[in-house]
Amino acid sequence: MSLRLEGVGVSRRGRALLDAVDLEVGPGELLALVGPNGAGKTTLLRTIVGLLEPQRGRVLLGDADVSTLSARARAAKVAWLPQHMAQTEELSALDIVVAARFRFDEPFRVAAAQSIKALARVGLENVAERSVLTLSGGERQRVALAGLLAQAAPLLLLDEPANHLDPAQQIDVYRLLGELWREGLSIVCVTHDVNLLRHLAAPERVRLAGMANGQLRFQTNFADGNLPSELGQLFGVRMNSLQNAQDGSRLLFAESLA
Amino acid sequence: MTGRRSAVFVAASLSALALSLWVGRRLDAETADFVLLQLRLPRMLVGALVGATLAISGAAFQAVFNNPLATPSTVGTTAGATLGALIALSLDVGSGPFGVSLLTASAFIGALTTSLIVSGLAASGRLSKSDVLLAGIAVTLASGALATGVQFASDARALVAAAQWSLGQLPQVGYHGVYLLGPFAGITLVGLLALGRPLQNLALGEDLAETQGVDVGRLRFLVLILASLGVAACVAWCGPIAFVGLIVPHLVRLLVGPSLRLLLPLSFIGGAGFLVACDTLARVLLPGRELPVGVLTAALGAPALVLLVMRARV
Repeated sequence: MSLRLEGVGVSRRGRALLDAVDLEVGPGELLALVGPNGAGKTTLLRTIVGLLEPQRGRVLLGDADVSTLSARARAAKVAWLPQHMAQTEELSALDIVVAARFRFDEPFRVAAAQSIKALARVGLENVAERSVLTLSGGERQRVALAGLLAQAAPLLLLDEPANHLDPAQQIDVYRLLGELWREGLSIVCVTHDVNLLRHLAAPERVRLAGMANGQLRFQTNFADGNLPSELGQLFGVRMNSLQNAQDGSRLLFAESLA
Repeated sequence: MTGRRSAVFVAASLSALALSLWVGRRLDAETADFVLLQLRLPRMLVGALVGATLAISGAAFQAVFNNPLATPSTVGTTAGATLGALIALSLDVGSGPFGVSLLTASAFIGALTTSLIVSGLAASGRLSKSDVLLAGIAVTLASGALATGVQFASDARALVAAAQWSLGQLPQVGYHGVYLLGPFAGITLVGLLALGRPLQNLALGEDLAETQGVDVGRLRFLVLILASLGVAACVAWCGPIAFVGLIVPHLVRLLVGPSLRLLLPLSFIGGAGFLVACDTLARVLLPGRELPVGVLTAALGAPALVLLVMRARV
């Protein structure tokens, strides 16, 4: 599924949240979206998935303008992992993944079988019947990812999928994303930690887009030599790099400008 | 565990329905047929329809508003029915078309009008669910004020009749009520059961549900209109029967958890069993008199709910 944003502008109460954003993600491409808090990354994802309607420009999924699609048609094209999941009731992991499956006229047995498969993919088939409130933060995030898999859309939007996870779980999440990417899904992933991108299947093919104040500031490649200085400028820090002795990959870390 | 609990719950509800036919004055050969077939059976059927409709509507409202305190009256249905009933009583009108008393017809129209107003508002995706709840409260208060105005202008006889209606009762002779309620309750029950899957998506937030293929505005409208149709018919026919729509879904939730796949059908069956059980008690508790069933639903259901909630918290 290809995604194209043409001059997308979103404003609320006179403040521009997104300003003339042009962006393209081809089939099977992975784009990492970086930028300071409040840059508009979450707003951009919400606009792509159709929760916000742009006042200017348009968002195309394939050939279709998102704003003209029904909720069902949108769900078939794009799946969204929000930053925070509202969760108050003691639903089981299976309930949650079946809901994400969204093919409401499919017999429950079929939906459940697909959902168990998705849970197995993230290593959680044994807790399918357990309440998600009894699961750890990492397990809950994996349940949410299983939901994305069950929805089976060709484009995934992920808003800081490694948020609040311990280092091992962060790597697990990014490895899984790498696998999905290799299988041909298109992925847009918001992250604060670009070093995590090393765990994707082919980091040298990862595209990066930097956002600030609702605008796209740069688009580049993860392997680009200019990336540290671009990121430094974007966040207002000095971005230094180190060579990882193990595999020669580049690690970035921030230092204060002062 | 859940499966066994569900089975016991269903068995208990069905036993309550069956028992209601046998409990009461001993039958003698001469009157047995009449009492069983013309009094107890139709009364049980109406009780089951009303209980099932109120309980499943409560469960659906709690899901659609993501609010445990939502009830079938949340969108102003009961208040509208009360207003309609009072207007009919103060006009002192008798029987209307199809053998429906004008009281019933007027209560039905009142209930449907108020819930249509709120459902119409809910259909606009722009309103948040708390806006819709507020609209329901506003419509309830406004109809209440109008009802008070009508009462002020009514005579003593109309006031007594209105008070009687507002107690909530299921007295039946023959199958008139079953025929009248059946279609409305049927639409509500089948419709809401069919919406269980998309309703479940709302538990994780309306935004996520919207991206998972649920047209939230449309779903809200459908649930409100489907529930209101049945509830309006029930309230018009029996008067307001309190707490069934609150208590039964919560009892089911405590027993089998919040998954709507079980919650909706079990609320349906449990609502029928609970109301018929209360009504059977209401028939036999006082010698020579009947208690209004609404008194028992609240008096028995509320403490049972509190007890169960406290046990679940320990």
